[in-house]
Formats: sequence, C-alpha cells, structure tokens
Amino acid sequence: MGILRLSHVDVAVTDLDLASAYYTEVIGMVLVERTADSAYLKCWDEADHHSLRLTYAPRVGFDLMSFKVEREDDLSQLENAVARYGFPVQRVSRGDSVGQGESIRFETPSGHTMELVHDVRKLGSSLPRVNPQPFLYRPGGEGGLPGIAPPRMDHVLVTAEEVGESTQFYTDVLGFRVTEQLLDGHGHQVGTWMERSHSPHDLAVVSGPNGGLHHFAYWLDDWDHVRDAADILAYNGISVDVGPTRHGITRGSTIYFFDPLGTRNEVFTGGYRPDPDFPMITWTEDNAGRAIFYYEGELNDRFMKVHT
Amino acid sequence: MGILRLSHVEIRVPDLELATAYYSEVVGLIETAREPERVFMKCWDEHQHHSVVLVYAPTHGLNSFGFKVTDAADLDQYAGRLQAAGVAVQRLEKGEWGPGHGQAIRFDLPSGHRMELVHGMEQVGNMLPRTNPPPRPMNLTGIAPPRLDHLFLTAEEVDTVTGFLREVLDFRLTEQVMGDDGFQIATWLEVSHSSHDIAVITGSNRGLHHFAFWVDDWNDLRSAADACAYHGVHIETNPTRHGVSRGQCLYFFDPCGNRNEMFTGGYWVDPDAEPITWTEAEMGRALFYYDGVVNQKFLTVHT
Repeated sequence: MGILRLSHVDVAVTDLDLASAYYTEVIGMVLVERTADSAYLKCWDEADHHSLRLTYAPRVGFDLMSFKVEREDDLSQLENAVARYGFPVQRVSRGDSVGQGESIRFETPSGHTMELVHDVRKLGSSLPRVNPQPFLYRPGGEGGLPGIAPPRMDHVLVTAEEVGESTQFYTDVLGFRVTEQLLDGHGHQVGTWMERSHSPHDLAVVSGPNGGLHHFAYWLDDWDHVRDAADILAYNGISVDVGPTRHGITRGSTIYFFDPLGTRNEVFTGGYRPDPDFPMITWTEDNAGRAIFYYEGELNDRFMKVHT
Repeated sequence: MGILRLSHVEIRVPDLELATAYYSEVVGLIETAREPERVFMKCWDEHQHHSVVLVYAPTHGLNSFGFKVTDAADLDQYAGRLQAAGVAVQRLEKGEWGPGHGQAIRFDLPSGHRMELVHGMEQVGNMLPRTNPPPRPMNLTGIAPPRLDHLFLTAEEVDTVTGFLREVLDFRLTEQVMGDDGFQIATWLEVSHSSHDIAVITGSNRGLHHFAFWVDDWNDLRSAADACAYHGVHIETNPTRHGVSRGQCLYFFDPCGNRNEMFTGGYWVDPDAEPITWTEAEMGRALFYYDGVVNQKFLTVHT
C-alpha cells in the first residue's frame, strides 16, 4: 500500500547537549534514548521509537528523512522502483539503526538521503490504552512535559536545484501526490507540496541548493495552540522567523523559528483532507507572497535564503 | 486500494422544504441538485457532487450511507467478498441512483443498515479557484463546515456489526467501550487514518444516532453553538470533549429530529495502532469527558 507518512528526520548539530535541552525543554519532546553521539526523541502522542534524531557533527546539517511504509513488502516493491529509476539502493539490516528494523536508503535526484522503513519499535504514546484521558496532563510541568509539547511530527520541506525533476521522482517512483505547486513566470515549478497521508503535505520541495533542509514541522491541534507556542518561544528567547500567520498554500496556520544551532523548525495546524483524486492547486509567481504568507503577502529574504 | 472515507448520508425528512432551509441556512450546505422528493447538498470544501441527500418520507432517520473507494476495481473486489460472506449485493451504474452519483454497490449490514460503496461521483469543485485560492470563501452562510466527517449508527449487536466492518470491509477498530459482560457496548472504526469514520452503539437496528460535520477547531464549535442558538435550533449538548477520539463536539437536532454533530480534534492513527478500550464504569467519561455522565436522551433518542 506504499508510503504512509513521515517517520523521522535526522539532523546534525554542533552541540548535542544544547540541542537536546532545546528539543526537550522548549519543544517538549520526550528523550527516548541517548548514545555517545546521538539523541533520539519523540513527541508525546507518537507510539513509534523516535521522530527526531540529533547527531553530533562539526557542522549543522540534514542527514536523512525517513518515511514509514504500511507493509513489510512495500520495502522491496519501492526498492525495485528506485533501482529501476537508476538509483542505487542500500539495505540497512535490523540492528544497524537504533529503534527500528530493516530499512532501505537511497539518494533522491536532489542529493537528499531518504529512508523507507516499516518495522519501528513501538514504545507507545504517553497515554494508557485503557480509559485514557483525552489530553496530555501537565501539572506545572511536574510529571508532564514542558514547552510546546506538540502531539506529533508532521512534514518536512527540503530544497532542490531542480524542483520539477525532484517532484517527478517523488510522484512517479514513490507514489506521492502533488496537492499544490508554485510556478515561476516561465511555468517552471519552484515549489511543490506532496502528500501520502491525505493531508495537504507530508513532503515539500522548494528551489535551493541540493541536499538542503528548509525546515521540519510539528503538528499542533489548533490556532490556540499556535498562540501558546509563540508565547513559549518568546519566553525562551528563541529566534522567530515568521508568524504566527497563515499560509496560502495548505491553508495552514504557522510559526517558523530556529533551534539554537540554526535548523529551522515550524509548528503547523489546519489545512484540509485531500482525496487521491484531489485537483491540484496552482500558485503563480505574482502571488508567491500570498502563497507562502497569506497575511503578509510577501516573503522575507531570510525565509528564502536560510536553510541547513 | 480500498475504502477511502465517508462519502454521503441519505437522510429522511417529513418536511423537505423545512429541512432544506435548515441545512442550507443554518448548517450552511450548498444545494447542488433538486428533484421533487430529494435535495442534494455538499459542504463548501468538498469537491464531490453531494455529501448529504435529503429525501422526503413520512418519518425521519437514515435511508442509506455511502463510503468512497479509491478505484473502480475496489467495487468488484468488495462485491466478491460480500457475496462470499453471503451478503446480497446490488449494482448501480454511474448516475443511476441520482444526479452526479457514481458507480456503486449496495448491501445491508448485519444490523439492517443500507450501505453503499461508490466510485466516480461527479466532481463539481469546492468554492475556491484552483489558481491562487484564498484560504476560505468569504460569502458563507451559517456554520459552514468544510466537510462531512463521520457517521454513528445504533445496532442491537454491536459486536456483530463491528466484526463485519472489520473482516469484510477492512475497517480498523480504534476504540471500544466494553461491557462488564465482555460484549462491546460501542465501537469506533476508521479507514482514513482519523479517529473514526463510523461508530456503532447499542440500540435499535437500522438506527441513526447522528452524523457529524468537521469544523477546524474549538473556536468554530463556539461559533456553531452561537449560530444554533440564534436560529432556535435545539442544542442537546454544549461544546464539550469526548474521551473516545479526544475530539470536541456539539450535538443538536435538525428540525425533523435527526441528530447532527459538529466535531473537531482527535488524532491520526497508523493502521497497526492498538485499539483503546474504555470500561463500562468509565463510559460516562468515554463519551463526555467533562461531565463524566451520559444523559438519558443521548443514550435513548435516535432516528
């Protein structure tokens, strides 16, 4: 049945302690496992082992994006599809990655390392399976999570020199469906938003250097939670890039901000539930500002140029 | 690829004019076709021809409901499985059942509910352009939910219907209320990775407890309650929280007595998620988390 949703993102950080402190105290993720050079974190409502891996490196960067497939045999089917496209595929054996079983890895046309995995160790969400309360109870942070505490990871946006070529790879080879596209004055794609999970996007690509990460995003339940997130970011002295505001593309509500090492994060809510036969939405160059930031109607340089 | 989501509900109303006025002016649906005894309507963000069909009848209640399948071949596949399970299947050609309708198969659940699987319903577009669309239309009337969300049925034997939905139609159980006698009192099932697309609670066979529209957040539930109160609509339950699904909700009745819900929240669930169980002692919190008790009207009134 193919790719289900985003599983985890792996980013390189120059200070593992500082990054871990930020992602646990300000974002409010749960630290699941810590090794000599890596920290594994998950959101409170996620049952799988981790949705973010931080790895120490002398530079800040984007190591890998991993998507979960619905069935074990999806791995071999998609392995064949990627190989037929002419890209080498590496099998990662059980036990070679923390918290998950066998996976496949390959480079996309834009030089991103992509992983597909089915077998992920289940840790369970932060709620019981019998008579669970319908929210995360946080009495003054005691016994609960501090910070924003998003329930789950949502999507990733990467940069590529050739957006059209990348998009074709994700759609034709991996089965992603384009919900929205942004075209330049010549009709070329400069941004595409793609889904597998019946959301506005699980993966998006915008013009920029190959291999780059623009941001990864956490889901919040509603606009009230977006306001709370802005309060928490400001209180903790976090550098806010844009927002709270509204996207034209996806209709979502958003804040962009940077972790202390320079990786852009987003909190996101809203959007719509597209069917697989959803008629794609197109944004033209003269509306690019509203496409990205509907209230401002224009893009700031930092948003256009800073990535990791 | 299988069953995608709830497509439409066909609701009986003894006063078609009154019901049409309510669903267009108060709920804020858009009329897409009208016949002497039927009115076809959709929510503003839906692309398909209809999600609510009102049909004139001397009583209220649910005539049928439909789920959308991904591919036309799914109809054959499920027809085969239904027939193998001993269920009679009726086939409908595209447009045969009504204007804009797709190709479909119809059959009865063990609880007597008439269910349909449909493919290829006419796409009439949402209320927005496909190029540079604003995030919402500015000329909506009433509550104006963007889409239909789920359906809640009553059945004498919840276990039997639930088993049928899971085994024959590949629905996945997300939550259940278990009676102390070991039988399911109520179940919630999904196909769309949401907390539920359909639910069943103990009651009369063929009964409709309610059908629900999606709204974007808790603030919209307050606005919906304002709109209901302004129009004199009978509100059954104020904005509150479910234990099951974690969703937030508002229940009210259409002027013909069919229960409506506005719903938001919940979670996204993987196909391999372990179901959540509520015990009979906690059934109050399962349904209404803040009150902790279920009022008798909620348990006994259905159509």
